[in-house]
Amino acid sequence: MMHAKGWLLAGCLLLLLPGPVFSAGEEAPTIPRETVCLQCHGGMEGRLGAPVGLWKQSIHRQNGISCHDCHGGDPTDFAMAMSPERGFRGAPEKAEIPAFCGRCHIGVKDDYLASKHGRALGKGGPQCVTCHGNHAVVKASPDLINDKDCTRCHSFERAARIKAALTDTDRIISGLERDLADLRRLGIAVKKMRGEVFAKRNEFHRLFHTVDVNKVHQGTAAVQKSLGEVATEVAGIRSDLSQRKLWGGIAIVLLLVAGGLCLLLRRTYHDEEGKG
Amino acid sequence: MLKRAVDWLDVRLGVRELWQENTSGYLVPRNINAWYSLGTVLLALFGLQFLTGILLLIHYVPDTEKAFGSVETIVNAVPYGWLIRNLHAVGSNLIVVVLLLHMLSVLFMGSYKRPRELTWLSGFILFNLGLGLCLTGYLLPWSQLSFWATTVATDAAGAVPVIGPKLVEFLRGAPSVGAPTLGRFFALHVVVLPGALMGLVGFHLFCVRRCGISVPPFGKDAKPARVGTVFDHEKHPGGIPFFPNYTAEEAAMVCFALAVLVAVTFFAPQIFIPLDALEPANPFVTPEHIKPEWYFLWAYQTLKIFPSKLIGLAAQGALMTFLALLPFIDRGEERRPAKRPLFVTCYVLGLLLLIGISIWGRYS
Amino acid sequence: MPQNELPSSQRRTFLTVLLAGLGTVLGAMAAWPLLRYLSPRDRGDADTKVTLARDKVPVGGAEFIDFRGRPAVILQPKPGEFVALTAVCTHLGCIVKWVNEKQEFLCPCHGGRFSTSGQVLGGPPPKPLESFNIKLDGDQLVIG
Repeated sequence: MMHAKGWLLAGCLLLLLPGPVFSAGEEAPTIPRETVCLQCHGGMEGRLGAPVGLWKQSIHRQNGISCHDCHGGDPTDFAMAMSPERGFRGAPEKAEIPAFCGRCHIGVKDDYLASKHGRALGKGGPQCVTCHGNHAVVKASPDLINDKDCTRCHSFERAARIKAALTDTDRIISGLERDLADLRRLGIAVKKMRGEVFAKRNEFHRLFHTVDVNKVHQGTAAVQKSLGEVATEVAGIRSDLSQRKLWGGIAIVLLLVAGGLCLLLRRTYHDEEGKG
Repeated sequence: MLKRAVDWLDVRLGVRELWQENTSGYLVPRNINAWYSLGTVLLALFGLQFLTGILLLIHYVPDTEKAFGSVETIVNAVPYGWLIRNLHAVGSNLIVVVLLLHMLSVLFMGSYKRPRELTWLSGFILFNLGLGLCLTGYLLPWSQLSFWATTVATDAAGAVPVIGPKLVEFLRGAPSVGAPTLGRFFALHVVVLPGALMGLVGFHLFCVRRCGISVPPFGKDAKPARVGTVFDHEKHPGGIPFFPNYTAEEAAMVCFALAVLVAVTFFAPQIFIPLDALEPANPFVTPEHIKPEWYFLWAYQTLKIFPSKLIGLAAQGALMTFLALLPFIDRGEERRPAKRPLFVTCYVLGLLLLIGISIWGRYS
Repeated sequence: MPQNELPSSQRRTFLTVLLAGLGTVLGAMAAWPLLRYLSPRDRGDADTKVTLARDKVPVGGAEFIDFRGRPAVILQPKPGEFVALTAVCTHLGCIVKWVNEKQEFLCPCHGGRFSTSGQVLGGPPPKPLESFNIKLDGDQLVIG
């Protein structure tokens, strides 16, 4: 009889195996559909084909932003894809780049244009792609402010101070984003909190495009306060979750003990069966 | 007081005799094993599904605009709603696991054989009803997963010749999955299928009780059953009373099953609630890598293996029909696995094949 | 199983008592979430104030509103004088009707009658209608 139970348990475990395997997998990003842009340029060599490969690793692709979202044109029509009639814009000149990117990244553009960087635009100053790259745009992070890139134009000393000022907050933001993704995985409604963090993240990113250490310091406090509120809420949910687990654990132990007692009860009968 | 109430009933309905006949007077084989308790485990789990299902029904709204939100409310805002919902979702998966174990043990011990053909047949239909409940229940939260799993599942019916496309539309109540589908799946899930399930469970239990419990075909005393041409309840003289002796073991198994249910519900519900289930249905965006639930993977993959969907569907139909009618096909009296090498070989290979195809389906 | 233990019947009694205790604990652990799931949730409006545009309530007229989850009625018996009453009859809980011609409430269930201040004028109601605080804030009436 004990033998049979062992097998039964093993069977249960075996059958449960495909479950976890099946549900593995990360949050699926929204991948843009195949467009005529990608179909043609994907097969091209050199300068005309390279952007496709670069874009594929970009944050833009992850968020469903495809060629035509920046360059315009008609992604559904081979013949007219690159016609100015359909709004094709092509590649911007260097000095045009902030306006080009700024169509979507409006706040950042404003703060950038007002900054020392922005005022040097067209006079050898940096613009968006100087730091962020063009087609392989990666998720913005403090790593973009580094000795190698900044010293192309000036000393790193001032940039390092800005970096130091934003590192903490950036760490809080990415930590919260991770926490919220974890909570969402458990079915907790985090949409509102996610929206708040996203808004604060934008506000903050916008802030350090001013490249003004004082302004960064001033803005940081307000951003951190709002983030702190979200963090408190997250901590509250977390503590609820561990409370649940505690009770779940107690229930499991009690059920196992009850099962064990039932088996012992069965044994008392078993002993009598032998005699009878 | 209680005694007087029972006395009153006893005088009128003879409840004491009925109780005695079905408990201590109901003898089961002395070497009965833990596998025989899976039916009771299923009864307990189905009972729990009924209870949690009714509770969910209090807050759930079967409307394509509101269904997802109502489930989100249950999980996030209603006190202990998360518990009820997760128990229901995890419970359904656990039921499929136990259904499979129950069937596999009955197959291995040859208990489906004459005179228990009807027990097997009703059990097999119950298994399909269980899967039907899973499939229909799946759509109700109106998530991306619900929507697309139902789209793919109903689409398979399109392979039926001539009437295929009409059949798909009939199943969905519309050209594509939408509000009419939710309406009919809701009715099926909360009324039709549970009703059918309850009725059939009654019949299944009646068969079990009427035929008597089969003797486990193990040990040196095991011998092929002699089945006569007239009805004969299989008695077990010298057996053990069903109650309380064997029910103690059944209670233990129920406790262990509940412990597994609680463990998954509290510690890893995401095993059975994939990410796409947390995204509201969007009829215009198919999620990437959409896969059916683990217990439908084999069916999903067979449809892909065969060159045409029709052949795949026919193969599935043939397999299910073969299994349903197994006791009428396999009519030998021998039940001891050691004396049935051909059967055991097919059993093991068939099982490995199904697991293999499912894993293949998962990773293809 | 060593034979020097208690006889099986005594062990059984002991185990049954333990199981009954455990069953009670588990039952309570299951019953609590069930009770909480089914209990009405705190609407959080026990002290909320309800506002209503002043011109909704004509002089000599009545306006029925939802007040903290229950029907209530707002009257303006004289210009600038407002009254807020529960609209639930104190007899058997029907909703009273405003009879404009008589300037009084009539309960359609058993003919209970109430004045504009909620006093019982006749019929079976045992108590007057409960009244609520009401004050004018600009062109808004604030009840509660």
